[in-house]
Amino acid sequence: MGLNHRAVALQLIIFVTQWGLMIIGFGILAAVVGPLRIQSDPSLGRYFDAAVKAMIALVLSISWLFIWDRQVRVYFYRKREDIAEPV
Amino acid sequence: MLPSGWEVTTAVLLAIISFPVSLVLTRFFMQVNARRGIFGIDVHKLSKPRIPEMCGAAIPVTLILLSSIYVLIGGGNSIMMLAFSLVVGSAAVVGAVDDRLKMRGIYKPLLTLLCGLPIVALGLLFPNQVYNPTLQVPIFGSFHLPVIYPLSIPVAISVTSNTTNMLDPLNGTMAGGVSIISAALLIGVLITAPAPSAVFLYACLLFSALGFFYFNRYPSRAFAGNVGQLSVGAALGALAILSRTEIASIVAMFPNIQNSFFFLSKIKRFTEHRALTAKPTKLLDDGRLASSSDPKAPLTLVRTLLVGRPAKESEIVSTIFALFLVSAALALITMILIG
Repeated sequence: MGLNHRAVALQLIIFVTQWGLMIIGFGILAAVVGPLRIQSDPSLGRYFDAAVKAMIALVLSISWLFIWDRQVRVYFYRKREDIAEPV
Repeated sequence: MLPSGWEVTTAVLLAIISFPVSLVLTRFFMQVNARRGIFGIDVHKLSKPRIPEMCGAAIPVTLILLSSIYVLIGGGNSIMMLAFSLVVGSAAVVGAVDDRLKMRGIYKPLLTLLCGLPIVALGLLFPNQVYNPTLQVPIFGSFHLPVIYPLSIPVAISVTSNTTNMLDPLNGTMAGGVSIISAALLIGVLITAPAPSAVFLYACLLFSALGFFYFNRYPSRAFAGNVGQLSVGAALGALAILSRTEIASIVAMFPNIQNSFFFLSKIKRFTEHRALTAKPTKLLDDGRLASSSDPKAPLTLVRTLLVGRPAKESEIVSTIFALFLVSAALALITMILIG
């Protein structure tokens, strides 16, 4: 089987890093963000709380994808993204 | 009432039938579609062979058929099976329409949003029988999402179906990748919480994908088409929600996520591969594939794996399967950590 061992090894580093970050991110959501009560109003406050928590989750997701993006570009593409020159 | 171990064994044994069913149906679609002139060109071969398209329809047909039989013999949660079948069926219809009419790129994500609605509707009608809005997180416990969870279901189905659709550029990558993902999640479900319905659906997806893979593997004799790709992706998304394997499913789909994210971040719009002016790879005179030197070309997973090292199509397919094995192993660890 003609595997590209270098690519698999680099992707393994990327996947394991992203997996670890993802678990930490979900941990922050479950342990810190989840129990937060920003509004005590039982009706509308519930939706406000949900919206704020969704925004925090969105920011964490974007940060996660940004780190993923940087890793792939550093490991596989040397120059700026406009050039996308192979290593 | 039958003991749980026996129920799980019955579920797996029935699901194994989906392999020959999918195999026969794929053969059937190959013959019918070839007669009707439904072909795709295998652009990564020097000879540019014409391959029967839309044969992936065998997978959703097998999944819906076997789910119906499972409910009829009294084996599973009928509401859950109905939700699964509606999601898979509607995604297959969207894919078939796209295969025939060649819709603009934006319509597929929009229409597949609607495919998640059966789970939301049935979940509201039958609370706690379809989905559970408490997300289980590895190590850190769980958190309740009564508002966000149902709202995110259509998005989840749209994302999984379209990301699966995008990672089928080479022979057998979609069917092989989905087989690896569903095998890992099936093992995870069997180890952690072997609910018969979840075991049955994951096993069904595994064996029906393998049945299609037999004809789709390198060198392909059948192409899945959007009908197969979207429905299989929707099946993965639906199963993640119905069997409470959301986070493990995200991990298992890491190769798909990377491919779609880098495609969208470069192109900055939803578009079809056929509409791209700058292709991510090029075919060399010796039949090997190489990374494109066009700066406008998207940084797809295949292009990334070809950086600085042209390779045969079969080698790239093997490398992609190795990546799926890595992500599947991480998904399995995730499920064990959740417990």
